[in-house]
Amino acid sequence: MTLLVLLSISIVVAAAVYLSLSRDLFRVVIGLTMLGAATNLIVFAAGRFATLTPPLLTTVEDAQAAAVANPLVQALVLTAIVISFALLCFALVLGARLRAQAGNDDVKQMHATEPVAWDSVKPPELEN
Amino acid sequence: MTSRSIMLEYVARSAYWLMLLASVWILLRGHNAPGGGFIAGLMAVAATALLAIVYDVDSARRRLPLQPLQLAVAGVLLALISGIPGVWDDNAFLTHQWWGIEVGNNVFKLSTVIIFDVGVFAAVWGAFATYLFALLDTQGEVT
Amino acid sequence: MSHADARVGATNRDMLWLALIPSGLFIGLVWALSAIALPWQLQLDWVPSLGVGLDWYIDALSAQFLVLITGIGTMVFIYASGYMAHDANAGRFFLLLLLFMTAMVGVVSADHLLVLFLFWELTSLISFFLVGFKHTDEQARASARQALFITLGGGLALLAAFILLAQITGTWSLQAIVASGPELIEDPRLPAVLMLLFIGCFTKSAQFPFHFWLPNAMSAPTPASAYLHSATMVKLGIYLLARFDPAFNELLLWEVSLIGIGTITAVWAALLALRERDLKRILARSTVSALGTLVLLIGLPNEEAALAVIAFLFAHALYKAPLFFVAGNIDHATGTRSIDHLMGLRRQMPFTMVAAILASLSMAGLPLSFGYVAKDVVTTAKSGTDLLQIVSYGLLFVNSIAVAVAAVAAIRVFWGPANPAFARVREVSWRMLLPPLLIAIVGLEFELMPAFTDPLLVDAARVIAPAADIGDLSADHSIATFVTVAEVLVIGLVLFLFWEQLHRYLAGLARLDHYGCAALFERLLAGLTRVAAWHTKTLQHGNLSGYMRLTLVVLLLFGLGAWLAGDVDGSGLWASSWPAYEQGWALLAATVLISAGALAAPFVYGRLALLMVIGLVGYGSAVLFLFAGAPDVAFTQFMVETVLVVVAAAVLPHYGAPSRYPEPRLLNAAVAVAAGIATFILLAHMFSVPSDRSLAEWFATNSLPEAHGRNVVNVILVDFRALDTFGEIAVVAFSALAAWPLLRTMRKRRRTS
Repeated sequence: MTLLVLLSISIVVAAAVYLSLSRDLFRVVIGLTMLGAATNLIVFAAGRFATLTPPLLTTVEDAQAAAVANPLVQALVLTAIVISFALLCFALVLGARLRAQAGNDDVKQMHATEPVAWDSVKPPELEN
Repeated sequence: MTSRSIMLEYVARSAYWLMLLASVWILLRGHNAPGGGFIAGLMAVAATALLAIVYDVDSARRRLPLQPLQLAVAGVLLALISGIPGVWDDNAFLTHQWWGIEVGNNVFKLSTVIIFDVGVFAAVWGAFATYLFALLDTQGEVT
Repeated sequence: MSHADARVGATNRDMLWLALIPSGLFIGLVWALSAIALPWQLQLDWVPSLGVGLDWYIDALSAQFLVLITGIGTMVFIYASGYMAHDANAGRFFLLLLLFMTAMVGVVSADHLLVLFLFWELTSLISFFLVGFKHTDEQARASARQALFITLGGGLALLAAFILLAQITGTWSLQAIVASGPELIEDPRLPAVLMLLFIGCFTKSAQFPFHFWLPNAMSAPTPASAYLHSATMVKLGIYLLARFDPAFNELLLWEVSLIGIGTITAVWAALLALRERDLKRILARSTVSALGTLVLLIGLPNEEAALAVIAFLFAHALYKAPLFFVAGNIDHATGTRSIDHLMGLRRQMPFTMVAAILASLSMAGLPLSFGYVAKDVVTTAKSGTDLLQIVSYGLLFVNSIAVAVAAVAAIRVFWGPANPAFARVREVSWRMLLPPLLIAIVGLEFELMPAFTDPLLVDAARVIAPAADIGDLSADHSIATFVTVAEVLVIGLVLFLFWEQLHRYLAGLARLDHYGCAALFERLLAGLTRVAAWHTKTLQHGNLSGYMRLTLVVLLLFGLGAWLAGDVDGSGLWASSWPAYEQGWALLAATVLISAGALAAPFVYGRLALLMVIGLVGYGSAVLFLFAGAPDVAFTQFMVETVLVVVAAAVLPHYGAPSRYPEPRLLNAAVAVAAGIATFILLAHMFSVPSDRSLAEWFATNSLPEAHGRNVVNVILVDFRALDTFGEIAVVAFSALAAWPLLRTMRKRRRTS
């Protein structure tokens, strides 16, 4: 069980890294999102899979003797999902904006939109 | 949208209210059963998204209680306010208070927790509605 | 056309009234000194949790400095009200002077080392602003930067020394640390402490090899030079060394370092004074020389040296400040400070000349001046120890140069044929004459009216050498002193007569400057910027994939480290048993969904297909959550994936059709596979460590009784950790707020184009 989950997490990480190394802006964004998903899974897995009973209590005694799944990591992951969704939305918007301004979605070309260095020491100044 | 589907529009309008109702139900039962502000908020976003796609952004916007950004900020403020009664009681900020109201045999429990969760609900709903409307709004102008 | 006339035009508010502040402080201080016995103590809380308090302790040594700070300060304020009268930035100048005075008072009164450090750095900072006061002048800016780097950098070394001292002794109180001298001397960390302390004090007091910043600091307006860079701030290093002297006096390292560095500084600076043509820079070199002498005197182990330090320090302030004022007057009236052009000013500037002569008498150490008294005690101090002969000769040379410099300031500038270029030069206003005259006269009168100062100076000397039996100051005019002074006078006057020849000879050595400390420092700075430029070019290349690759490789190295560190046994991987039948199949399906989505992603290029593929990962995760006992998380994930479909549909048109750029696919794949393997190793490592469930159990146990909720996850979110959740929804809301203007401008661009 644990082994299976960890294996799939590792595959997700590898795929996410591959995507985020791409030159295509969209693939980079998707790669980062997948990395976020992998992280959520890792946090969730950190709570271990000793018990698979949802942490919904009927009596006080339920909670003792580790009768329920780890609620702490669930709370962490729940908010993390929402936040990483917000991050994805923001990254998509930012990417769209970048693409609109730079004219293409080639990550390698995008640094050409940065101001050109004219001094070997001082940072380049933005025009206008 | 040029091509309109009467059937879909009809279903969508009722589905919108149904989904909102369901989201409120999920919100309120969240303390004792699966649910809560985050899930309910996302459900409400889904409802809004449905309306925005089937009709258009403006009609979806009209059916929101506030402008989307205002809704998000109002949610954050509501969550903030829910923490204040705890401070009055000489506790830490966001220490929740409970009041029981007896009606017949049942005890309805009222608490600042619900207010906080409603704040979460509104913040999530408003924030993602903002994204949604903004993206859909600019979409038509892309060539 | 005189320089002064050129500046007329700008009208300014008269700043003379500001002199009431230092003079009020001075009068109050003098009254308090006569009325209330030293030491004065005051302790206020500041950051009690860190043990930092505003602890003040004023003994005779501090009081001596306070007298100098407020007394000379009064004169500086009066002088500056004349000097800066037509400067548009006079207000800023006075503000800096006031701040500086406050900081100085803070340094010499503070007992808590951290408080002392704060004020110490504040003086360096204000010195920076004053040196760079003429900020339109590039030279002034460079000098200011140099002074800042050296003094602030030295301050950091000082902070390190203070921290070590506090660790060794367990207290931050300067008094207590000095009192625990024997304990300190035995500590193995002492050499480090001393080195850091030396760096801090030597940078501040411009000792070799940090001596070069002080002459360059002469680009400050003259009142600031007189105040900061001669009378008070540069003496802070001396002050601190004198404070620590009782603790370390017996130490050979202390003695040798101070005498060695002090002698080198004094001799070297005196030699360099001969090379200068700028009157202020000559004075600055001689100030450095005097500071070196002071350091040397502190290093002397005998008890008379303490009195010598105090007397010489006081005497130096009383003659050097007027000489700076004189230089300022000449600069102000003629527009130049070069001794090549300055001559025969005695008719035009008689009062300035009188001040110059009075101050020079003291500087040369002629009898009846306070300088003579100082020379007297210095001679006594030297005779009490068996100094190396070379140090004695060095001091003889240094003192002779002092005489020569005094002669340059008093004779050369004012006598000789009048320079026709200065025909219209006039004497400066009374505000710029009163301060030098007054201080110079006080310097002379101290010999004659010792009643007030004697006790203070002797008490201050007792702070440095507590055990010493120190008599009064002006009693003994020994024959030995007289002979020494006469010797020095004769040699000094000879040096003065051959000044030009010596200058020409030394100017020939200018090419050695290329290897001097100043050049070294500048090269160091230039090297630093070069390294920064190279670093920026190599690492900040603007290529996103490059950044990612680098970051990942570093992360991989961490994973490798974890592996090599051992401890990774796979035991945790098999720990949980296979769950019950239905759940088991569902979980298997979930992992298959996740893996399939992830495996497909790299090979999918269509935008929509890619979104669907990560949807697969998302739904797979949701299923996993659902059957692994996390229904709330599962619902959230389901909802997110659902809304994502709509968002994606809305956003895709913005991205256009995908293009397959040529890229190092194999390399990327290698990095990706390595990242996957590293993740697996790290996870296996994580699972070999037992899980701590205490928090989880606390939440589960207290959820129902304390928070009245059966859904523990929700209770954690809205109650136990509500503040975190509040922060999270705020982040979500603000991200929308941040995205809004991005989208709006995009829409606007479309509409306008």
